[in-house]
Amino acid sequence: MQNRFIASLIVVAIAAAVVTAVVTVRLTRPGQAAAATAARTIDGKPDFSGIWQALNEAHWDLQAHEARPAAVTQRGVYPYDYVQVPAAPVLALGAAGGVPGSVGVVEGDGQIPYTPEAAAIKKENSEHWIDRDPELKCYLPGIPRAMYMPYPFQIVQGTNKIQMAFPFTSTARTIHLDQVEGPPDDTYMGHSVGRWEGDTLVVDVTGFNGKNWFDRAGNFHSDALHLVERFTPITRDAIHYEVTIEDPKVFTRPWKISMPLYRRLEPNAQLLEYRCMEFVEEFLWGNLRKQQLVKRWEGETMIVDITRKVPPADKLHDWYRR
Amino acid sequence: MSKRSLGLRLIGVAAVIMAVVVLLKLSPVPRAEDAVRAGPAPKTPWGEPDLQGIWTNNYEIPLQRPARYANKEFFTDQERAELDQQRTAIIDRQADKTRRTRGTEQDVSGAYNQAIFVTHKHVGRRTSLIVDPPDGRIPPLTPEAQKRRDAIRQFQLALLQATDTCKNKLPGCAGGKYGPPSPRRTEAPPYYLATGAMGGGSINRADGPEDRTLGERCMGAILPDFGGLAGFFPQIVQSPGTVSIFYDTGQGQGWQRVIPLTARPHLPSHVRQWWGDSRGHWEGNTLVVDVTNFTPKTDFQGSRENLHLVERWTRLDANTLEYAVTIEDATTWTRPWTVKLELNKQSDQANRVYKEPRCHEGNFGMTALLAGTRAEERAFAAGRGPDPATLCSAGCGGFAAGFADSGEESNPLTN
Repeated sequence: MQNRFIASLIVVAIAAAVVTAVVTVRLTRPGQAAAATAARTIDGKPDFSGIWQALNEAHWDLQAHEARPAAVTQRGVYPYDYVQVPAAPVLALGAAGGVPGSVGVVEGDGQIPYTPEAAAIKKENSEHWIDRDPELKCYLPGIPRAMYMPYPFQIVQGTNKIQMAFPFTSTARTIHLDQVEGPPDDTYMGHSVGRWEGDTLVVDVTGFNGKNWFDRAGNFHSDALHLVERFTPITRDAIHYEVTIEDPKVFTRPWKISMPLYRRLEPNAQLLEYRCMEFVEEFLWGNLRKQQLVKRWEGETMIVDITRKVPPADKLHDWYRR
Repeated sequence: MSKRSLGLRLIGVAAVIMAVVVLLKLSPVPRAEDAVRAGPAPKTPWGEPDLQGIWTNNYEIPLQRPARYANKEFFTDQERAELDQQRTAIIDRQADKTRRTRGTEQDVSGAYNQAIFVTHKHVGRRTSLIVDPPDGRIPPLTPEAQKRRDAIRQFQLALLQATDTCKNKLPGCAGGKYGPPSPRRTEAPPYYLATGAMGGGSINRADGPEDRTLGERCMGAILPDFGGLAGFFPQIVQSPGTVSIFYDTGQGQGWQRVIPLTARPHLPSHVRQWWGDSRGHWEGNTLVVDVTNFTPKTDFQGSRENLHLVERWTRLDANTLEYAVTIEDATTWTRPWTVKLELNKQSDQANRVYKEPRCHEGNFGMTALLAGTRAEERAFAAGRGPDPATLCSAGCGGFAAGFADSGEESNPLTN
C-alpha cells in the first residue's frame, strides 16, 4: 500500500517536472521546444512533409515598416516625403495595390548590419525596385527568399534527401542529408546540406551566385552568402524557421531572421503551377516586339499611361451630382 | 543586310544550339549492360516501394522503330555494334566537311550537321521505346489532328516561301514552293506554337517572343519526358503519401513535380496546367499516376489539352526503374499507345542534378533574336538591307527543325 502510494507520488512528481520543464522551455525560448505533438517519421525524427506557407510581410520587407499606398510611389501634392501617392504602374489597382505594414522578422534591434557601401546599394535598390528586383523578372528566387514568398510550398522529406517544391517558376531545392559533392558551379538556389540536432533540422547553405535579393525592399547579398537555417517543430502544424545570415562582403556581422511556417490545412491543398516566365515576356522583351503592346516605349523605358474610369457612383455620389 | 543585325540574330540562334553541343559532350559514359546484376528493389522505411534516387536512361533507343527493323523488337548484338559505329562516324565527321559556308544563314540557322543531334550513348536493346502498338510506331493521327498538322505546316511554308531555303529547295521547304513574301506573315499562327515539328515548332518569324518555340522561351519541358536528345535526370524523393520528382531536363528548363498519392478527384476541368494534374496510387509495387488537365499551350506529339497519361513507375531492382506510360487522346490518335523506358540509377553522391533550371535567367538568345530582327527591319526600311521576309531564322536547313533527316549525315536511329 505504502509502496503504491510512494510510486504514485513519484509518478506525479515526474509528470510535474516534465510539464514544468516543457512550460519553462516554451516560455523562455518560444518555438524552440520540440513539441510533443509534432509529426514524426518512422525513425522518430520530426516529419516536415506537407504544404507550408509563411504568413507574414517579409516578402515585402524583412524589416519593420508601416503600410504604404503602393509598391511604387511618388510624391503627392505636398512636398513631404511622408506623403506619397501610388505611382503610375500600380495606380489603377487602388487599395489592392498597397503594401501592408509589418513588425519585421529581423531579430534583435531589427537592423540589417550593412557596410556603408552596401547600405548605399540597398537604398538605390529600393529606389529602382521595378528595374532591379529579380523577382519581377521571374528569376529563381534563391534562399531564404523562396521560403517566405506569398505562395505555398511543399516539403517532401525522404530518407536521405529533403526536396522542397516551390510553385514560383516551378523550382525546387534539395537538402542533402547524406554525403554529396558540391555543385559544379555557383547557383541561384544554393547548395543545402542538412543534419539533425535533436529535433531541429539544421541546414548549411552555400554556393550562391549573389544574384538574389531577400525581399522587395532591395535587401540583397553577394556570392559570399552563407546561411544556417534551423527548422524546429512548434506543433504538428507549425515550424519555427530561423536563418543566420552571414556575408562578409555585404554585412559587418552575422544577423538573424525568424518566423513561423504554417501548414496549409485545407484537405484538398495542393501546389498549382505559377509558371511566371510566360507572364514576364512582355515586361522583359516588350520593347523588342515588332508591334508593341505597350504604346510608349522610349528605348528600353516603358512609359505606362494609366486608363482608369471613375468607379460607378454609389447612391450618395449620384445624389450629390443631381 | 547589316552585318551587325545578322550577327546579333545568329548569336541568338547559336546560343540555343551551342547549349546542345555542350550538353551532349557531358552525356554519361554508359556502363557495360551486363554489369553487376543489382540487388532486389528496396522498400522505404515506411514500407512503400522505394523509387528514390537520381535516374537517367543510359542507352539510346529511338522513340519509333525505324522502318527497316519492322517486326523486330530487339536489335542483335551485331546490329547494335554496327549502329554504334555508324553513329560514331557521324559524331567524328570533321565539321569542315559537313558544315555549311561559315557566317551564312545556312551555317547557323538550323543547318548544323547531324553530329550535334546524335547522343554519345550506346544503342540499347530495344528497337523502339514504343511497345504498343506492336509495330513500335505512333498510331495514325485522326483526320482532325492531321488537319491541325497540315495547317501549321502550311503556315510554316508560307513564312519560308520567299527565302533561299525554298529557292534552293532545301529539306526545310519540303512540300512548299518559292515565291514572293506571303501576306500570311502578318497572321497569327493557326494555334499556339509549342515545341517540335508536330507542335508548330519553328516558324520563320520573330515579331515577339511568342513566335519562337517554347524551347527558345525556356518553357520547353513537357510531360511525358523520355529524355530526348539532350538527356534528362529525374530525381525522385518520397515521403509517405507523396512522390516528388525534379526533372533536370532540356538544358536548364527543368521543373519540379509533386505527385499526391490520393483518390481525390482531379482539379476542376477548367483549371489547366502546363504539366497537367497528377494523381498517384500504389498498385502492388507500381506507382500508377493519372495525369489530365493539360493546357492547350503545351504539345506532346500533336496532343494538347486532351492529353491523358497513365504512368506506371516500377523499381525492377536496385539499379533499374521502369517507366511505362500509356498515352491517350482520341482527338489526336486513332488508338492509345504505350512507351516503356528503362531508367538507370545514378550516384547519389555525384550531385548529378548538375544544373538548376536557369535557362530563363540567361536567355540573352531571345533578346538577340528579337533585337537582330528589329535591326534588319530598320535596315530594310532605310534601304540598307534586304526584305526581312526573304531572310531565314528558323527551319532554314533541315535537320535542326525536325523537318527532314536524310542524306549521308542521317542518324540511322531516326531517319
